Amino acid sequence: MNNLNDVWRKRFNHYISELQKYMKYIFTGHMALVIVFLLGAGGYKYSNWLKEASHDFPAIWVTAVVMGLVLAFSKPVTLIKKPDEVYLLPLETKMSTYFNKALNYSLMSQVAVAGVIYVVMWPMLRQVGELPASGIAIGLAFTILLKWWNVHVEFMFRWALEGRYIWLDRFARAVLSALFIYSLLHHESMIALVLIIILAIYPIVCKKRTLEKPFPYEHFVQLEENRMMGIYRFANYFTDVPAVSGSIKRRRYLDFIVNMIPKTKEKTFDYYLLRSLIRTDDNFFLWLRLTVISALVAAFANIPIIIGIVVTALAFATAIQLKQTLGKSAEFSMSMLYPLKGDARQQAAIRIARYSIIVQAVIVLLAGIGTPYFYIQGIIVLVVGELTLRLSK
Amino acid sequence: MTILEVTNVTGGYTRKPVIHNLNFKLEAGELVGLVGLNGAGKSTAIKHIIGMMQPQEGIIKINGKTMKEDMDMYRTSFSYIPETPVLYDELTLKEHLELTAMAFGIELPTMRARVQPLLEEFRMEKRLNWFPSHFSKGMRQKVMVMCAFLVKPSLYIIDEPFLGLDPLAISVLLEQMDEQKKKGSAILMSTHVLATAEKHCDKILLLHNGKVRAFGTMDDLRQAFNMPEATLDDLYIAMTKEEEHE
Repeated sequence: MNNLNDVWRKRFNHYISELQKYMKYIFTGHMALVIVFLLGAGGYKYSNWLKEASHDFPAIWVTAVVMGLVLAFSKPVTLIKKPDEVYLLPLETKMSTYFNKALNYSLMSQVAVAGVIYVVMWPMLRQVGELPASGIAIGLAFTILLKWWNVHVEFMFRWALEGRYIWLDRFARAVLSALFIYSLLHHESMIALVLIIILAIYPIVCKKRTLEKPFPYEHFVQLEENRMMGIYRFANYFTDVPAVSGSIKRRRYLDFIVNMIPKTKEKTFDYYLLRSLIRTDDNFFLWLRLTVISALVAAFANIPIIIGIVVTALAFATAIQLKQTLGKSAEFSMSMLYPLKGDARQQAAIRIARYSIIVQAVIVLLAGIGTPYFYIQGIIVLVVGELTLRLSK
Repeated sequence: MTILEVTNVTGGYTRKPVIHNLNFKLEAGELVGLVGLNGAGKSTAIKHIIGMMQPQEGIIKINGKTMKEDMDMYRTSFSYIPETPVLYDELTLKEHLELTAMAFGIELPTMRARVQPLLEEFRMEKRLNWFPSHFSKGMRQKVMVMCAFLVKPSLYIIDEPFLGLDPLAISVLLEQMDEQKKKGSAILMSTHVLATAEKHCDKILLLHNGKVRAFGTMDDLRQAFNMPEATLDDLYIAMTKEEEHE
């Protein structure tokens, strides 16, 4: 028994350190800036809306539906790995120790999100829905209980049906959770009572079916791999994640750009790096994302100082990231043997990053047309980008 | 004419050398087989010759120049086919050929004329616009072979070329090597396929524990081991037995 506890503890520690590693990048990257900006803007809009919202607004229904959706998504975090299919197979009957720990962690990691979202609803329920604070607090307590229920039921349902029909199960749980929160906030005790009975029977049925089945390792391995890949993909927006090898797409419609590079010895790396930039999803979407955000802010932000700050930050991020990702190469590539100057690749990376900055500047400038001083935004992108390319290592 | 000259070369990844005091020469028109056990130092020797590792002692010259003396000349003088194909995921077959031609300063029409026969013989001409992710190991190896042969250098360094290639492709490769030899190129080829090495190589370099155990024609080797009727297989096994007696 101790053994399985140890297995969980080791995996859990490794998982947490892995998460921390990438969190560090996420909270220091440019997207963090954008997220804070969006949250701030959203919060401001929300508080303004609360002041003038009509009392006819169905605050309780909205809360119930949002919470129903948040509660129904309760993917178990099991940290099950592929080799477990072989090595843990003989321990099948003793695995409950392990799974209890896994479900405890799943609950802990998800309950906070549900709680925070409920707390965001609180002022709406109070001001627009005109509910007493005590009634809302009871709703919060039951949100936590419902999360516990959802996490356990989703795990059992996945076990019982090897992951099939999970959307049906989620839909049912979303409806049940939403109705329960509604009946609670709306003081519909009869409905609440009926729901409690259903909420009690649902897991019993699932549990019964799991007892007839061996643990479906394959499904849970797949689930874990997808979940980790999701985390890596997300982190990959902020930093380089070795587990994510960027996918490649031809993007034939951009061939006209690719063909602008003359096929001469001096342009060998330009030829390669431009194709690399356009065809590697990581690099291509990095540029696209930063350029689109920059252009949207230039078009709609209305506050010159905000536009200036965002456009500067994003031009810097574009220049530095492209210069670095294009400039470095794998441990060994054939280009290391090419009869070219030692810094040929770095120089070409700077040129390609420069072209990308110029295109970004034009797009930001066009997006800002109609706002005062729109031409300055384009110039900022050019100047910041060029300075970054020249002054950075 | 001497193409490759390795003199007293000692080197490795750390202070502890993997190869010790290597001495050998490749003359124009020679195909030399580099043979030895796993870990004998074949790949390390090759890495030193292509300049990915610097020798701790000794000198390596291609066409009479070291890499320090003339980097451009040194690098244009050889092409290298690694054991594991190294391709760019984001470039098509055609673009690999173009990139190599550009890097080596070869006009594209010249390049096309040079690779056309190989494309046909390797049955790859319909795959010019394919990306490496769609290639099998053998096809990837063929791309490496074409990139190496379009340069037409004076020295070819080929690391274990026969793994993954189908028998037809192996015979095409051997024909190509033969043709380049006749035109005066030298070829250094590391391999474990001893029968092929014995049949096609002009000389064999037997590497053991990082040292040259024997170097020369098959007759020279038989003499060195005092085994007049021996095949390369026999000599190879005799060499490994020596270690056991030590």
